[in-house]
Amino acid sequence: MTLNWSGKRRWIALVLVLASLVVMFNWPPVVPVIQLPGEIYPAGEVFGLPITNTFVGSMVVWALILVLIRVVGSRRPRDGGEVPRGGFYNFFEMAFEGLYGFIGGIAPERYLGPIFKMFMTIFILVLLSNWLHLIPGIDSIGFLHPHVHKVEGHYELLDGFDTATLGGVHYLNGQCPWVSPDAAATMSDEALQARADAGCHSGIPAAAAADDHADEAADDEHGDEIDYHHVDPGDPAVPWVILPYVRVPSTDLNMTLAFALIAVVMIQVMGFRALGIGYLTKFFNFATLFKSPLGGIDVAVGLLELIGEMAKILSFAFRLLGSMFAGSILLFVISFLLPVIAPWPVFLLEFFVGLIQAIVFGLLTAIFMSLATVSHHHDEEHHEEAAAGAH
Amino acid sequence: MEEAVVVAGKAIGAGLAMVGALGGGIGIGLAVGGAVQGMARNPDHTGTIQTNMILGVAFAEAVAIYALVVSLIILFVLS
Repeated sequence: MTLNWSGKRRWIALVLVLASLVVMFNWPPVVPVIQLPGEIYPAGEVFGLPITNTFVGSMVVWALILVLIRVVGSRRPRDGGEVPRGGFYNFFEMAFEGLYGFIGGIAPERYLGPIFKMFMTIFILVLLSNWLHLIPGIDSIGFLHPHVHKVEGHYELLDGFDTATLGGVHYLNGQCPWVSPDAAATMSDEALQARADAGCHSGIPAAAAADDHADEAADDEHGDEIDYHHVDPGDPAVPWVILPYVRVPSTDLNMTLAFALIAVVMIQVMGFRALGIGYLTKFFNFATLFKSPLGGIDVAVGLLELIGEMAKILSFAFRLLGSMFAGSILLFVISFLLPVIAPWPVFLLEFFVGLIQAIVFGLLTAIFMSLATVSHHHDEEHHEEAAAGAH
Repeated sequence: MEEAVVVAGKAIGAGLAMVGALGGGIGIGLAVGGAVQGMARNPDHTGTIQTNMILGVAFAEAVAIYALVVSLIILFVLS
């Protein structure tokens, strides 16, 4: 007798929704700090380069790709007669064949192999990078970091939150935005009492009084000597924020620009491979300059093509960056506003946006590669033939 | 006070930058509308039409995304 899981899953889902409602009201969500460059790990540097959490994200993507290779490779039938094992392998083969047919409709027959390899590589890498932010908690689990900004040699304290602990785990207390001792002095008694009732550490009467003296003394005598990067977690004198361990790599311009450069360089490589040195006549077209009265236009068009290649780099890089960064912000702002039901459709939307952006990136590379393999002169010959026919 | 003015300026600037999404929206609407008409009249060429439509939509969308990037830069990078 088998268990009827379809009936039970419903109850499991309901219990999880109720549990998240309880969590939402007791530990209100905190809107995270939004910044465009990847957050730098406090641990240090490797080979003189700082480690960012988007870099760690791309390492996660590579690990996922290794797992994918292992899973798909181990399920692959050894010879044609063997039936493939496993649903995931069949799904992967279906997707692979579908995409191969799709690119087969675009790319010229002769260069289908290299163009499809480039397409599939970009597609899988970008797809896994984009889907990384669908994992819950990827933006909200991280280092506890004092939110300070170094300006002209001294530290400026920015907005942040108090921390609290639960079972040895520190978390940001969403009910307690961090308040500086100066600001606490100007707050009304009711507001201060409300903060004390909520369990805040900063800006409550006793702590404020104690901190006031401490900070004034610090400001007067050795204000610059406080090492804000080595304070104890939970110190109420400092505003705290979360620095995520892992961030989606496609939200970092370094990653998208790298992919864009690789794609555009490979497009040129494809052009040289198909047309040889004659590929350059696409950009520097002086053949008709003195032959026809409109030869100058061909030169100008060639130069415009050259600028177009440069624009492709920016276009590739910013399209992916813009849509994925906006998607990440959308996901965590929605999770902050209404954490239980509202994020579900947004997660679905982001699932499709990630898929479409990956397809578009790969497809545009494939199309530009196909265009690069086509000679310009070929078209012109046709035009001349048509013109001759008309006469 | 000065800080509030800066924040207000950033918000207005980011909002104005997103006006650029208008063109992308119109462009995508026209492209998809035309492609659907084409597919309805000539279902055999659905594949080709779809590929070209996605290409055109990606270009139209890119313009809107530039506007988005500009407004994101105004909001989160400018200080």
